[in-house]
Amino acid sequence: MFEFFFGHPRSLYSKGEIVLLGGWPWWVWLLLALAGAAGLGFLIHRRMRDAASGLHGWRPYVIWALQSSMLAGVLLLLWQPSILVSTLKPQQNVVAVIVDDSQSMMLKDAPGDATRLDALKQSLGGDVLNRLGDRFQLRVYKAGNRAERIKSLDALTGQAPATRIGDVLEQVNAELAGLPLGAVLLLTDGADNSGGIDFDTVAEMRARRVPVHTVGFGKEVSGRDIEVVDVQVPARVLADSRANAAISIAQHGLSGRVVKLSIRESGKVLAQKQVTLKADGQVQTENVLFNAGDVGAKSIQVTIDKVDGEENVRNNETSRLVNVENTKPKVLYFDGEPRWEFKFVRRAMEDDKSVKLITMLRTTQNKIYRQGIENPSDLESGFPAKVEELFGFQGLMLGSVEAGYFTTAQQELLKNFVDRRGGGLLLMAGRSSLSEGGWNRSSMAEMLPVVLPDRKGTFQRDPATPGLTAPGVDSLLTRLIENPAQNMERWKKLPYLADFQDIGTPKPGATVLAEMNAGGRAGMPLLVTHNYGRGRVAILATSGTWRWQMSQPLEDKTHEQFWQQMLRWLVTDTPGRVQAATPRQMLFDESKIRLTADVRDKTYLPAPDARVYATLIGPAGSGGQIELQPDPATPGTYGADYTIEKPGSYVAEILAKRGDEEIGRDVITFERKDGVAESFRTNQNRDLLTRLATQTGGQYWSPADLKKLPDEISISEAGVTVRETRDLWNIPAVFLALLGLRAAEWLLRRKWGVV
Amino acid sequence: MGGPGKILVAILVLAIGGTMWAQRRSLRELADEEDNPAPWPADAAEKTEFVFARLRYMARRNGYFGRGGGAWSTDYPKADRQFVQGARRLTRLHVRSVEQVISLDDNEIFDYPWIYATEVGRWDFTPEQAAKMREYLLKGGFVMTDDFHGTFEWSVFADGLRKVFPDRSIVDIDNKDAIFHVLYDLDERFQVPGIQLFYTGQVWENDGYEARWRGVYDDNGRIMIGICHNMDLGDAWEWADLPQYPERYASLAYRVGVNYIIYSMTH
Repeated sequence: MFEFFFGHPRSLYSKGEIVLLGGWPWWVWLLLALAGAAGLGFLIHRRMRDAASGLHGWRPYVIWALQSSMLAGVLLLLWQPSILVSTLKPQQNVVAVIVDDSQSMMLKDAPGDATRLDALKQSLGGDVLNRLGDRFQLRVYKAGNRAERIKSLDALTGQAPATRIGDVLEQVNAELAGLPLGAVLLLTDGADNSGGIDFDTVAEMRARRVPVHTVGFGKEVSGRDIEVVDVQVPARVLADSRANAAISIAQHGLSGRVVKLSIRESGKVLAQKQVTLKADGQVQTENVLFNAGDVGAKSIQVTIDKVDGEENVRNNETSRLVNVENTKPKVLYFDGEPRWEFKFVRRAMEDDKSVKLITMLRTTQNKIYRQGIENPSDLESGFPAKVEELFGFQGLMLGSVEAGYFTTAQQELLKNFVDRRGGGLLLMAGRSSLSEGGWNRSSMAEMLPVVLPDRKGTFQRDPATPGLTAPGVDSLLTRLIENPAQNMERWKKLPYLADFQDIGTPKPGATVLAEMNAGGRAGMPLLVTHNYGRGRVAILATSGTWRWQMSQPLEDKTHEQFWQQMLRWLVTDTPGRVQAATPRQMLFDESKIRLTADVRDKTYLPAPDARVYATLIGPAGSGGQIELQPDPATPGTYGADYTIEKPGSYVAEILAKRGDEEIGRDVITFERKDGVAESFRTNQNRDLLTRLATQTGGQYWSPADLKKLPDEISISEAGVTVRETRDLWNIPAVFLALLGLRAAEWLLRRKWGVV
Repeated sequence: MGGPGKILVAILVLAIGGTMWAQRRSLRELADEEDNPAPWPADAAEKTEFVFARLRYMARRNGYFGRGGGAWSTDYPKADRQFVQGARRLTRLHVRSVEQVISLDDNEIFDYPWIYATEVGRWDFTPEQAAKMREYLLKGGFVMTDDFHGTFEWSVFADGLRKVFPDRSIVDIDNKDAIFHVLYDLDERFQVPGIQLFYTGQVWENDGYEARWRGVYDDNGRIMIGICHNMDLGDAWEWADLPQYPERYASLAYRVGVNYIIYSMTH
């Protein structure tokens, strides 16, 4: 339609420059138009006296405006308005045609139950490719992970395991760097598996002024489909720990349906959850807890049961790796006086084989009773005063102890334990705790998640009834029952706490997981957490959870569960001296992985002078050893790229040394899976294709419009071009506009009775 | 003072008096059953971490009733109040100055994880009481028994205990057990006599010639019941302020009591 009225395609107007080819300057036209308008105004004014009665008020001005516009328009045609545009010189330019050959192109959602690839061949293979070939030198590629040049469309099989549009564009651009590349035609469903197209690739195309024309295939919205969009699980957990899987799902056509989410390991169901699907296209995230089990690398499968009529069930399942670590982190619990909470926390941890609890109790002014130590000399001198001694623990709990009990150096050490070492710290209420113990006026106040009250009398031995906040309902720390609503109710029914403390106001960024009604006040913070530096700090505003043990049935394990979760929270994310990482543990049809390691010395300061090696073991046995190189921008950080040759699970042991001295080691697991990626995000990603075309000066095309492309693709500033002018005076829109002005005047005159 | 003033004063007196009375009642001061009265401390109402809880159990023949009848109240309350003064001085434990009398007939017992029971050579339990005692101990409660002597009283004690734990053994506590070292090293323990020492010159009663330090352990190797047989630690606490009572006995009795409490708060 646009082309009918305006004589040229829309892209010509968007890329071309409007010029006046007439010999006279443009201001002459402007003067003449103004003079004509003035003359018309004068004539109309003179004749107003004799005019019919219908022409009064604002009406003469309308007539004047229409006639003036008509005159200006006719005059403009004398200046020969044209459009100036760069076009590709015939036979002197290369056009790259990139055809998606991935498995998602085999989905049968094209008209007539044809595959996307069939539709593509039909659209491109007939006249279009020949017409393009007549004008340009064609380079046709099939695309998957890489681009591969083909001679004809018959070479397309739809079997490539993934689509990486960015990589393919980058490759084609590089291959054709020495040739006059005039345009790129990309035919795909846009279901990119690399998470998008990076800015550098787009910038490079723009720099060469190469327009990328995109043609989208496949439905933009599925019929009925559920997809596991993403699953976030902790890369490492302690043995027999509960871990949280944050599962993001999206669906179309099944809103309101209840489906079952399952987490399995080697076929064994670890956890299940009934989920009500939200609105179409909305990504919803469900948290599911599961027990990580024994030590070892576990491949966790997340599945949604198939729903009747679902078109694509391959995207209902995905997997992640969880490394269940063979470590036993240590927590030091120091209390300033004998308290029941101390005893019952110790008892709660006796059944937990994953965390070792070492306790120190000030029984008298000068005596400290130590439990859980390995040697009689351990902690003999009291609370650790040396960095190596304190940093040997992963978690720290402080009971009823004054801030002043610690020396200035120990206070600094405590802060560094959290900030630099990345440890977890729990402060518990008590008659010498927090504000009662002067913590509010100590240098340690800055690491706390609350602003403590600046007064005494905050600790009271009176009942407090606990309850969860909204963040607490889903927290791994406070989850007593899997079902969030039931968990909330469970907390409400817990026996009252033996005492409570006013811990003041949570700081910005802190999370209140539980609150309490106590001392006539409702909603007082009970359990508050936040991150400080590399570590974590929590405050529990009571020392009276022991009543949960004594006042509930013998079989009830709430108290044990709460404290086991609490101590695991303290230590789970505490890093060792060598901390290995990868951006992703599951690689779907990818072969490159970046291994990084954060290496610290004994005091947990970055160690920039280490030698770091990764020893890899893959499905075929040893995968060799590579050295990680230091990152000059981040001291203590080392990295290396590794190419995964074959699909399967891999274990990388990262070893850091300084001379002959071993600094530490860490193990990380990752897995390459092929043939999976193309089952996900299978809808046509029109948004991505439109953006790519727009940002490079190209255009998004639907398959039906593809026949026009050979004509329009020649409008380009890349390659070998020629400047062309196209007339505008003879386009139908001009004629219709002038005719419209006259017709409007005539109709108005008719209406006003002044014809 | 006019009529309205007098009325106001009367109301105040009644209110304050009523509150004090209620306070004393809530602390279970059982004046009628006191064996050896002691002054009511000014800070009796203080809320503390630890409370000396005395078990008011049913004696085999006399039921609950004390002062020559009920056994539970032997040395009560002077021994209790005098002992806690020592515990306050010797440790960092926050201790209430008065005891709390508790029974197995309600659930209050679960708020007191340490209990002292004396003259247990006469104790007895109904099935419900035995079940409650068993639940209390398995949850983490601790019972210290004292002041029973000789073969006969042992058999009565053991009968009562069998109702609580039919299958659990009573064993001699090893010298290396933490209960004897948690605060004081009590390697050298001896028989602590009761006040009968003054009348008879003997440190033993009945045929209990030798002090036996025994216990009942839970499945994790923790002592649930500390059994002090053939000794009278309660008398040693009670008469510690009597110049004639030998200091060495009182001293050991205090150290044993403190160790048993600290043990129960750490294990």
